[in-house]
Amino acid sequence: MAQAYDTAPVALRDDLRDALNRAHERLAQPGSWLDGPQRLAVAAEARHAWDCALCQARKDSISPYAVTGDHASLGQLPTAWVDAIHRVVTDSGRLSARWYHETLDGGMVEDELIEVISVTVQAVVIDCFTAGIGMDRPASPTASPGQADRSHRTEAKTGTGWAATIAPEDAKPDFADFYDNDSHFYIRRSLTLVPDETRRLWDLLNHLYMEDPRTIELDGMDRDISRAQMEFLAARASALLGCYY
Amino acid sequence: MCGVMGDNVTASGLPHGELMNEFVEAICARDTARTAKARQAIVDILGESAMVDAAAVIAAFNAYPRMADATGIPLEDAKEAATVEMRQELGLNALDNG
Repeated sequence: MAQAYDTAPVALRDDLRDALNRAHERLAQPGSWLDGPQRLAVAAEARHAWDCALCQARKDSISPYAVTGDHASLGQLPTAWVDAIHRVVTDSGRLSARWYHETLDGGMVEDELIEVISVTVQAVVIDCFTAGIGMDRPASPTASPGQADRSHRTEAKTGTGWAATIAPEDAKPDFADFYDNDSHFYIRRSLTLVPDETRRLWDLLNHLYMEDPRTIELDGMDRDISRAQMEFLAARASALLGCYY
Repeated sequence: MCGVMGDNVTASGLPHGELMNEFVEAICARDTARTAKARQAIVDILGESAMVDAAAVIAAFNAYPRMADATGIPLEDAKEAATVEMRQELGLNALDNG
């Protein structure tokens, strides 16, 4: 049976097409802390956030805290989840420690928040690529049955940011390979509180960009733009989002 | 660096920098018509697979910044040391949201 990106209007690298198909299907499958229907609801809310009047007013304001009100939501998720999703989608450059801790105080378990951030990001990324190549967004997959095991990783600690993460030196055998190629950059570590979800996200990102950014040139990589052009696009997209990490 | 910040892409000296810039700006602005025009321009000049690779990088970098900003990860020590002057010149130190 054809999968969503098998029918893309342009030719895709095999690895990229397969990664997009996996990511699209995983939006509907049980994760580590969210079940399939919850993950689909998060993705749907992320896509809906662009049309939220409160988010637009906040984006136009000098501070997101200068404007109060209610998000235009689909009504499927708790308030704290909706705010987290909308802020990550529409105004990520002004997220703060205050936002992170207020979100947790609003009733989210930190592990849930990390998975919500990851699913939100995956929905944005999939849509961004799909719009970029001129493809209509594929229909949402059907939610798979099953429960998330909601297993907390006690080796995760805070210290490199607001979120608890698993440091390379603390990684247990089932996760140590995630740091195998010495890619100990903080960005790779950022969502490791939920290891399996982190793997799902990076399984997509590695194929969109590259697995090891320490590569100076693109020797052995199947790309038709130069490394310099890739880095320009990367830096320009980051700047447009107001991110200076 | 000024080209990356949007001040003068032409001066960056990047081959087809303006094409790339138009594509990334159009996608990030979620402007369908502008994206279609920029997409076709890249296909016409660099080919379809170059357009796909560019769209993929732009998509990926709609993820990394959101992950970094949502979790508050800092700049690695080595990067911080290497970019003192550049961050000062661009005024980036004022953007610490922590």
